[in-house]
Amino acid sequence: MARKPRFKMVACGTVLLVAAVNASAVEQPPITELLKPLHLSGYSSSMRPPEFSGLTAANRSVSLAGLRGRVIVINFWATWCQECRREMPVFERLHREFGPQGLSIIAINAREGATAVREYSKELGLTFPLVLDPRGVINSAYGVIGLPTTFLIGRDGRAVALAIGPRAWSGKAARALIQALLAEPSTLKGKP
Amino acid sequence: MQILGISSNNPFSQKTFADSLKLPYPLLSDFPHLKTIQSYGGLNPDWQSTTAVRWFFLIDQQGIVRGKWQGTTKDVFASEPILKAARELAKKQ
Repeated sequence: MARKPRFKMVACGTVLLVAAVNASAVEQPPITELLKPLHLSGYSSSMRPPEFSGLTAANRSVSLAGLRGRVIVINFWATWCQECRREMPVFERLHREFGPQGLSIIAINAREGATAVREYSKELGLTFPLVLDPRGVINSAYGVIGLPTTFLIGRDGRAVALAIGPRAWSGKAARALIQALLAEPSTLKGKP
Repeated sequence: MQILGISSNNPFSQKTFADSLKLPYPLLSDFPHLKTIQSYGGLNPDWQSTTAVRWFFLIDQQGIVRGKWQGTTKDVFASEPILKAARELAKKQ
């Protein structure tokens, strides 16, 4: 007779645990939901961005493979692009704030020379890598035909989202998305 | 009528391209072996056959090629001849 109440207590604890798990799921919306406020186009979970490597205007070598395990923002830009110019200081702020937490901002120039890129970087005080692509090889591999175009890559190396044109990258929605991506493990459950 | 675009580009770049232009029809990637492009005689010899020449093929409901047009410039291709042939074919079907 004394065992019945004990069973009830265990059952009650299980219900509470399920409720706690559900509450946690509500607090953390899926990445696909976080793309909507920014009007970002998502990828299927198996889509991987093309590998690339290049030199920055400061003659530093950068490759996508070398950044594996980090959340990566790949922004395609040019010095003549006015909307790019408005986004650059925002990317600099994100680089400084979230870089130590695992965010990498990589800006890939579209077919301009090192001198122009160096001067632009100095003028705007940019400290994240500005990769040269004088022949447009990286631009072509990513299918970029308009600027700015920006890609988000997860810690596990999957392509997460694409933005054609400028976005409010320092706004609440973008920050929530970046923080959610930073919170992911470098290898997602069930994926290699 | 179904429009399909086939290119030698990788699927990743095709999504960027399609989203940029808001294309209402699918793009198919023939990357990396370009077998479909080769079978249609569309390899570009000027680029060591690593890209495609612009070709347009009109195929009927039985799978028979009813028309083909080659893009002779890098710029705009006049779509009117293709539309005219497609309309005539649609009337016959």
